[in-house]
Amino acid sequence: MIRYATIFACCLLALTGLAQAQNSTGTTTLSVAVGPEAALTVTTGTTTLATASTTFGAPFTGNTSLLYFIRTTKTGGTGTLTLKITSDFAGTGGPSVTTPPSTGDALTYACTVSTPGTACTGSQTASTSAATPLGTWGAAANSIKAGNAASVAWSLTDDPVYATGTYTATATFTIAST
Amino acid sequence: MKRANLGGSKSWLCLLTLAMIPASGSTGTGSQSLTATINPVGSLTVPASANLTTVGTTFHPFTGSLTVSYKARTTPVGGGSITVNVSSDFSPSGGPSAAGGALAYTCSAATLGTACSGSQTASTTVQTPVLTLPASACTGGGGACSSQNPNSVNLSFTLTDSPAYATGTYSARLTFTISAT
Repeated sequence: MIRYATIFACCLLALTGLAQAQNSTGTTTLSVAVGPEAALTVTTGTTTLATASTTFGAPFTGNTSLLYFIRTTKTGGTGTLTLKITSDFAGTGGPSVTTPPSTGDALTYACTVSTPGTACTGSQTASTSAATPLGTWGAAANSIKAGNAASVAWSLTDDPVYATGTYTATATFTIAST
Repeated sequence: MKRANLGGSKSWLCLLTLAMIPASGSTGTGSQSLTATINPVGSLTVPASANLTTVGTTFHPFTGSLTVSYKARTTPVGGGSITVNVSSDFSPSGGPSAAGGALAYTCSAATLGTACSGSQTASTTVQTPVLTLPASACTGGGGACSSQNPNSVNLSFTLTDSPAYATGTYSARLTFTISAT
């Protein structure tokens, strides 16, 4: 009788061991330092400047749209969005940002920048030598994940001295945040 | 007349017993059953901390990695797993959120078992897979067991870098669990 009881106890013990699940845990801390950043995407690949007038009554106009992504430091952070003409209108006899053929000829623009940015005010004259303002923002500024919208409304004088033809310039946008 | 002389018999038995006792020293044998119950076991260690960093300033995801070291023994009819859970989400507020699905990871280079496949989204509510252990798995020793001791599996983390995050340093706690049957 004792012999059977012993065998039964051993089997029970073995089965208990087989069924027993063992768990163990460990923890780790993930840390990330989030700093100020800025990026932009020009959504208008090529902007065509055109005029509806055939009598020099209206400038060539067009719009360039972009999305900006920003994050500035909570205290003391700032940011700017600027543009510069990095390649002047090519070809002789046409418009020129660097050396306009007539006094008063210019490539100008007006700014639109959605919150949290603030758009430049008034009409800005584009330059090939210096970056000119498009928008600014201050501390603790965050765009949405999909980006916030901004745009430039261009205006190019329609000077009769321009030779007919197609002329192309390149505008480069720069964004910065601290 | 057949009555035995009991007194005489007693004296004879006594003398016989005494004669069987060795004159000096003794030897003997015995047996004892030793029973060891080998249970399925799993244990793991992870680094106390890991940093997620980003390259450049164009809202690329933050990335980082860590190695989970583990030892395991499973039964012929069992198996096991390693899982992870975000036991404490990123804090302080204003930054990334694992609960919002911002933290993902991939698993690779498991030296015992099968690492998780594809990209896994870390969760604050459920355990997500890191590794699966087969039946009859064991750490170390070679042969039927793995040759590595401890075993290891690598995790590569990706954290979304959203412009909406406020600047600052954020921390989250991950809890890894290994189970073996």
